[in-house]
Amino acid sequence: MSARPPPARPHIGVHSSYFSSHSSGAADWAEDDAWDSGSDSESQNPSTSSNNWTPKPVPRPTLNNSSSTLAFSYTHVSAPSPSSYSHKEENQIHKHGWTIVRKSSDQRERRGSGSHEKEGEIGGEVDVEGEMVLGDMEPEIIEHIPFRQDQGTIREDVDEIVNDPLHLISRRLGKAKSEDPISGRASPEGNQSPERLQRERSIRTNRRHRFVNCLLQEDINIGSSPIAVTPVPLLRLCEAQLRKLAWQGIPNDLRPIVWPLLLGYMPLPSPLRSSTLKRKREEYASLVEVTFARDRRGLDQQIWHQIEIDVPRTRPGVRLWMHACTQRSLERILYVWAIRHPASGYVQGINDLVTPFFQVFLSAYIETDVEEFDPTILPPNVLNAIEADSFWCLSRLLDGIQDNYIAGQPGIHRSVKRMAELVARIDPPLAAHLASQNVEFMQFAFRWMNCLLMREISVRNTIRMWDTYLAEGADAFSQFHLYVCSAFLVKWSEKLRGMDFQGIIMFLQSLPTQGWTDHDIEMLLSEAFVLSSTWHNAQSHFSGN
Amino acid sequence: MSKQFQFKLVLLGESAVGKSSLVLRFVKDQFDDYRESTIGAAFLTQTVTLEDQTTVKFEIWDTAGQERYKSLAPMYYRNANCAVVVYDITQSASLDKAKTWIRELQRQADPNIVIALCGNKTDLSARRQVTQEEAQKYAEEEGLMWGETSAKSGEGVSEIFTAIAKKLPLTAPPPKTAARGAPGAAGGRGVDLNRQPAPGQNEPCNC
Repeated sequence: MSARPPPARPHIGVHSSYFSSHSSGAADWAEDDAWDSGSDSESQNPSTSSNNWTPKPVPRPTLNNSSSTLAFSYTHVSAPSPSSYSHKEENQIHKHGWTIVRKSSDQRERRGSGSHEKEGEIGGEVDVEGEMVLGDMEPEIIEHIPFRQDQGTIREDVDEIVNDPLHLISRRLGKAKSEDPISGRASPEGNQSPERLQRERSIRTNRRHRFVNCLLQEDINIGSSPIAVTPVPLLRLCEAQLRKLAWQGIPNDLRPIVWPLLLGYMPLPSPLRSSTLKRKREEYASLVEVTFARDRRGLDQQIWHQIEIDVPRTRPGVRLWMHACTQRSLERILYVWAIRHPASGYVQGINDLVTPFFQVFLSAYIETDVEEFDPTILPPNVLNAIEADSFWCLSRLLDGIQDNYIAGQPGIHRSVKRMAELVARIDPPLAAHLASQNVEFMQFAFRWMNCLLMREISVRNTIRMWDTYLAEGADAFSQFHLYVCSAFLVKWSEKLRGMDFQGIIMFLQSLPTQGWTDHDIEMLLSEAFVLSSTWHNAQSHFSGN
Repeated sequence: MSKQFQFKLVLLGESAVGKSSLVLRFVKDQFDDYRESTIGAAFLTQTVTLEDQTTVKFEIWDTAGQERYKSLAPMYYRNANCAVVVYDITQSASLDKAKTWIRELQRQADPNIVIALCGNKTDLSARRQVTQEEAQKYAEEEGLMWGETSAKSGEGVSEIFTAIAKKLPLTAPPPKTAARGAPGAAGGRGVDLNRQPAPGQNEPCNC
């Protein structure tokens, strides 16, 4: 990969020279030739020319593809009944004890998901822990619905969205919404004056407008002039603006558009946008078809076995991921990626990394809680599009951290080592205490690198974090992540320094982040940014005395 | 006065044979049908009390099973006093993998390490691929403890850990309780209250 230009970060002026390495012009978007495998050409398979392919079901003797087959067991979920309410409430101060409050102005439909392993819903809800209100919410709308049997609701305009994700914007512009379910800015104070709420709301609305302007400005410009003469600097300026905005969090409804743009999966100009998406989805369809053309004996048994073991235990207890239909998608994504990357193959933890993409892309097409959604009610072409988009975006993300998953996992070892060195510089008492207790960084930070902190924070938190990582650029998942992990550790410094070996290790493997909101993540990201500004390109100081 | 000991135990074995479930049953008496895969390793502790009121505290490192994580394993078994190598009785390949781990332990780990071979998932015995005779015979040849368990039902779980506790050298202080192999590791951790000046042969070098 070519040298990465500095990303657009907060507090840094945007220069028109800040571009991602794969966006040097409109034509490059269409070529989209940055894939690592080099197998793109072979997969331009004319036999799969339709968007409506249905992937050949992967042979699985005992599993049924129907929606009614929920291959899971909830450990804490009780069936909905009038009496289950109070019982659940008592149980909620449990390992993951919290209540989810959904705030939504355009539909009066709300739900709780109190029994989830992790809270990861990406709608506009905020967290309430005990009596303390952690977000800007309307307290009267707290509602507990322990378990919903319905399958969720699909947007009426899925066909438009699947063909052109920017339809999400134009549709909303038409609706002139009163409020935006934006992910950002859950404020730590509970008692807020109406003025303050108003102000925050208006800040968010403003931010959203800037996003939309950025996305549409390009669209309008391109639409009014031939692509060939589109001023390239304008394209780049837009991208730089987009990165700068995204660093501070992307509104939920725009994320399915902005993530693929930041990853370089989707080009911004509209004529290229639709055709590129169509082509990449077809390409993925043909990859799936070729890969699973023969029965399961034709698969790499070792890889397939591992994936087959891990898929049912990916986000266990979350309805979306317990559906056979979602699990088959996950299997295909993981297996196709693994055989295209023989140096790493499938490594445990990569399954976790698919879930934010899948949930974000799914959210574009539905109106209800992503994690409660039954994907079998989606039209096949939409489900295939979600799967393909998730695959390509996962591929782009993993391109930046392949070292983490090849033999010996050198990327992780390097990152953990650097993290230990950095912590020794930024928090010497903590580093000394860990050393005195014989705690090795590898004992806890290995997982932090391998799963990008996804085992430490909720999917919702992860999604917010990835807004910033994607804005940072391709190598943020290895470089910037190192600073995030260091800031994350130092955050618990005082507690850790009062603990012995056993206490430290046990604490670090079940950190109290369940109630974390976007605000906590943003604090962490800011701290990481400060560290990164101070210490990046200062490696010689890292391992100093 | 009752004696208290502390030992380091490591779990090894192929992916999805039930290592984490076995520990969860032992430590918390719980079972989940689906648990997230272990990444790196997880740390837990549990104490067992023997008939003579001796208490044995296990510091357990539950390792990840996937081959890719193999390079991390030495960090966890390096100073282990005992190892539980788990296979799945419904997957004959998992016994082969267990044998590989046992060979590695015999070569690389502390020569006095107590190794138990554990066949898990007896609740699925209808799909059994590894007979008791086969596994037991192998264990005898290699001088290992052996037992079968079901983390799901709880069958045999506490038995195997208790058996290990009894097999450990409880007459003398454990060779080294420190998981990390550095001097002074046991200090400040409130363990081994009966620790006496160790006889020379039981004290590894303090390098």
